[in-house]
Amino acid sequence: MADKSEALIAAQLDEMALKIMMVEPGDLSVVGELVVLVEGLQGLAGIDKYPALRKMGLALRAVIGQIVMTELPDSAENYERLGQCIGQMQEVYRKHGEDEAAEKSFALVISQIGYVPLSEDEGEVVKGATTEDPPPTANGPQSAAARHKSAKAVAKAAGASGGAPQGLRILESPPVEAMEFLQDPELLTGFVGETLEHLESIEVNVLELEDNPGDLEIVNKIFRPFHTIKGVAGFLNLKSVQRLAHSTENLLDDVRNGVHAMDAQVIDVVLKVGDFLKTMVENLKSVLTDGPEQYKNYDISDYVAWVETVQTGSSTGGGAESVAAAASVSAATPPDIIVPGRSSGEGVDGDPGFTPSTARGPGAPQKAAVGDSIKVDVEKLDGLVNAVGELVIMQTMVRSNPKIAVLSDPKLIKDFAQLARITSELQKTAMSMRMVPIRQTFQKMIRLVRDLSKKTGKEVNLVMEGEETEIDRNMVDSIYDPLVHMMRNSVDHGVQPPAEREKMGKPRSGTVNLRAYQKGGNMVIEIEDDGQGLNTEKIRRKAIERGLIQDSDKSSSYELNNLIFLPGFSTADQITDVSGRGVGMDVVKKAVEKLRGKVEAISEPGKGSLFVIRLPLTMAIIDGIIVRVGSERYIIPTTAIQESLKPRPENYNTVQGKGETLMVRGAVLPIIRLYKLFQVEPVYTDPCEAIVVVVEYEGRQRAIMVDELLGKQEVVIKNLGGLSDIPGVAGGTILGDGRVGLILDLAGIVQSHSGHGVVEEAGEA
Amino acid sequence: MGAASAAVDTSVGQGLGGKYLTFSLGKEEYGIVITKVREIIGIMEITAVPHTPDFIKGVINLRGRVIPIVELRMKFGMELKAYDDRTCIIVVDVPGPTGTVQVGMLVDSVSEVMNIASQDIEPPPDFGVTTDAENIIGMGKIKGKLKILLDVDRVIGRTLASSLASLK
Repeated sequence: MADKSEALIAAQLDEMALKIMMVEPGDLSVVGELVVLVEGLQGLAGIDKYPALRKMGLALRAVIGQIVMTELPDSAENYERLGQCIGQMQEVYRKHGEDEAAEKSFALVISQIGYVPLSEDEGEVVKGATTEDPPPTANGPQSAAARHKSAKAVAKAAGASGGAPQGLRILESPPVEAMEFLQDPELLTGFVGETLEHLESIEVNVLELEDNPGDLEIVNKIFRPFHTIKGVAGFLNLKSVQRLAHSTENLLDDVRNGVHAMDAQVIDVVLKVGDFLKTMVENLKSVLTDGPEQYKNYDISDYVAWVETVQTGSSTGGGAESVAAAASVSAATPPDIIVPGRSSGEGVDGDPGFTPSTARGPGAPQKAAVGDSIKVDVEKLDGLVNAVGELVIMQTMVRSNPKIAVLSDPKLIKDFAQLARITSELQKTAMSMRMVPIRQTFQKMIRLVRDLSKKTGKEVNLVMEGEETEIDRNMVDSIYDPLVHMMRNSVDHGVQPPAEREKMGKPRSGTVNLRAYQKGGNMVIEIEDDGQGLNTEKIRRKAIERGLIQDSDKSSSYELNNLIFLPGFSTADQITDVSGRGVGMDVVKKAVEKLRGKVEAISEPGKGSLFVIRLPLTMAIIDGIIVRVGSERYIIPTTAIQESLKPRPENYNTVQGKGETLMVRGAVLPIIRLYKLFQVEPVYTDPCEAIVVVVEYEGRQRAIMVDELLGKQEVVIKNLGGLSDIPGVAGGTILGDGRVGLILDLAGIVQSHSGHGVVEEAGEA
Repeated sequence: MGAASAAVDTSVGQGLGGKYLTFSLGKEEYGIVITKVREIIGIMEITAVPHTPDFIKGVINLRGRVIPIVELRMKFGMELKAYDDRTCIIVVDVPGPTGTVQVGMLVDSVSEVMNIASQDIEPPPDFGVTTDAENIIGMGKIKGKLKILLDVDRVIGRTLASSLASLK
C-alpha cells in the first residue's frame, strides 16, 4: 500500500525538479522558492525513512544558501548541476532510499559546484576560480567588506580571462535619503515599465542578429534602446544602470562603426548585460511596491570590466578570444557535454546549431506593422468588459419581456435587430481589447531553445508560426510554464543528438515547430519535433507495472501515449535517460486544465511527436452544458464532459450497499448524486430514470447524476460576490432568464465526493 | 473600512448621529448607516449555493453582477416568515476579502430614512450571553420607539468572511 507521506515526498521532489528548470542566473527569487521547497522536503513526515535523502537535502540546502549569499557562483552551470543533484535524489527515492550509485554521483556533482561537507573540513570552501580569495566560511556570516573584496577579485579574474562574470553581487545599500531616484516615483514607474519593454526588444533583436550577423539595422535597433535606458537612468540618477548601459552602448557603437566585429562574444555580452539590467530594474520595481528597504545595490564593476575587455579586445582577434572564452566555460562544464562547432563559415561561432526562424508568407514584410496604441489600466478594461456583458444580457431581457415580445411593430423589430447587432459588436470589441498576440510568449522560447541547444549539444531549428494569434491576457502568464516545460521536453527528450540523427538518415539539426492558431472557438498551440517520438512500448510496460492498465489491454498507441499525462508517469525513465529530471507531464496537464484547456500527444516512433494544447479563447467565457436538478440549474464545463447517457439497470451496481457504480463501456465509474452533494430536491432519485453525465478530471472518471440536460451554451463567468472557495462551485453566470446559474467545479466535486467515503477505483495512490 | 464606519466607530454616542435607513424584522426596528446602503430592491428569485451557512440564502443577479443574499432573520436566529410584497433586499457595501463587495440583506420591510441625533443614541445594553451585542453600535430612541442600530461591516462583512473561512 502506497503511503500518503511517500507520495508527498515524490510530489515535493517533482516540484523541486520543476523549479530548478525555471531558475535563471541572477533570478534569486526563484532560487528562494527552491530553498522553501528543499526545506519543505526536510519537514515531511516520511523523510525519516530516507536517511540518504535527508542528508542530500541538507547538502543541497547548504549549497543553494551559498549561491544566494554569492559565496558560490550564481551561474547556469551550477543550476544545471543542482538539477542533476535533484535528479539523483529522485533516483534515490525511486529505489526506496537505497541507490549508492546515485548517492555517489550526487556527491560528485555537488562537490563540483563547490560544496564541501562540513564534517570533513572546518568549513573552508575551496573555489576553483578565486583561490586567492580570503576563504569564506561555509556557514558563518560574512562581513560585507570581505564579500566586496572577493567580488573585486572575481572582477579582476574576469577581466583577465575575458569570461563572463559569475553571478550578481550586492553592495551595501546607500541610506534612503541618498536614493534620489525615489523622489519621483511616477517617473521611476514609467522607467521600470519602459526599460523592461526595451530589454525584451533587445533580447529579440540580439537573437535575430545571430541569424543575420551583418545586418547593421538590427545593431541599430539594439543600440537605440540602450541609449534610451542610459539617458533616462542618468536623468533619474540611477548611476549603476546608467554606467552599465553606457559601456554596453559604447561597445555597440564600435560594432556599428565597424571598429569591432559582431561576434558571438558581443552577443553573449549584450544578452548577459540585458539579463543583469533586467534584474536591477525588477529590483527597482519591488522597491516601488514594497519600499526602499528592498533596494539592492548591485555591483556592476565586474560586468563593466567584462564589457570593456570585450570592447578593447582587437576585432580581428575576436574569434580567437571567443574560443578562449568558450574553452574556459567548457572547462567548467562536465566533459560529457560536447559542444559541436558549426562547419559553415558564417562568422558566428559559439552557438552550435540554433537557428530561430519564423515561417512567413512569401512577400510578407519582415515585421508586422505596429499600430498606434495607448496604455489602459487593466481594471478599467475589466470594468468595461463587465459593463458590456451586462448590456448584452439586459438587451436580451428587455427584448424577451412578455409585454414587448407581443408587439409586432416592424420599426420596433428592426430597431431591436439593430440594437442586438451593435451590442454584440461592442462585446466583441471589448473582449478583443483584452486579447494580446501570443508573440511575446513565443519569443521567450527563442532564448530557451537557444540555451537548451547549447546545453545539450544538439542542433535545433525553432520554427514559429502564428505569433499573431491572440490570447486572453489573463492566460498569458499561466501558459508560459507549461510551454517552457514542453519545449524543454521536445529539445531534451525529442530531438536526438546530431550524430544519431545522421545515422538515421535525418538532417543533422532537428526542427521544433511551435504553432499557434485559432480553430472552432479554441486557441490551439502545437509543439512538434522531428525527434525520436514516444516509446509507446515502454509506456505500455510502465502502465502495466503501475497497474494503470491490464496486461490484456488493447488500447491504441494513441491512448497509450496519452497516459504520460497521468500523475506518477515521469518522463525520465520511460522515454529517455538523457536527463535525470523526472518532472511528469501531469504538471503540464494540470496547468492546461486550470485554464480549462486540453492537451494531447500524438507520436510516431522514430519520426517525432506532436503535442497539441487546446485553450478557450478567453477566460471570461466558458462553454458549458446546462443541467437541471430539481428547480436548480447548473453548468458543467464542456471540456470535462465525455458523454451523457441514461443508465440501464444491468449496468448499475452498489458496493457494500453504499458506493454506487455504473458500468460505462467496460469501465466502472462511481456515481455522484448531485442533488445529495448540493442538498436540493430532485425529480428523480432512481439513477435509471435520471441522466448521468460522464466527466473526467485528472484522469479520474465520474458519473454525475442529474435530472435533465437543458442544452449547450456559452456563458460569461462571474464570481459570486463575497462568496468564494465554495467546494464544487467554480462561479456563477447569468442565464437567459436573468437568474443566476452555478458553474460546477469538477475538482471540488470529485474531491468532496471522495470525502464522503465512497470507494475509489483501484490503482489510485 | 469605509469612511462612514470609521466615523461610526468613534466613542459611542458621540459622532453617531446622522442619517439611518430603518427597516423591520418582525416587531423589531433596525437602522443602518445610510452611506452603507447602495440600493433597495424587491424580492427576486434566489439561486441557492451549496456548502454555505444557512443564513446565506443564495445569490441573485443584480444587473449582471452576482451578489450573495443574507437572510437577516436566519442570521439573528429569528423565526422565518414567508416572503410578501413588502419583503425587500437592501444592498449594502461591506469589506470583503479582496476589497469592497456588495451583499443583499433580506428584511421584512423597509421603513424610512431618518435623522437620528447623537444625543438620542445610547450605548448597546448588556444582554449577558443571550444576545450578541457586538453587532450593535447603539440604540436610537425616536419618539419613544427604539431603533437597533447595526454595524453592517460586522453583521455582514465579518460573518461572511469567517463563515466561508471555516468551510475550507
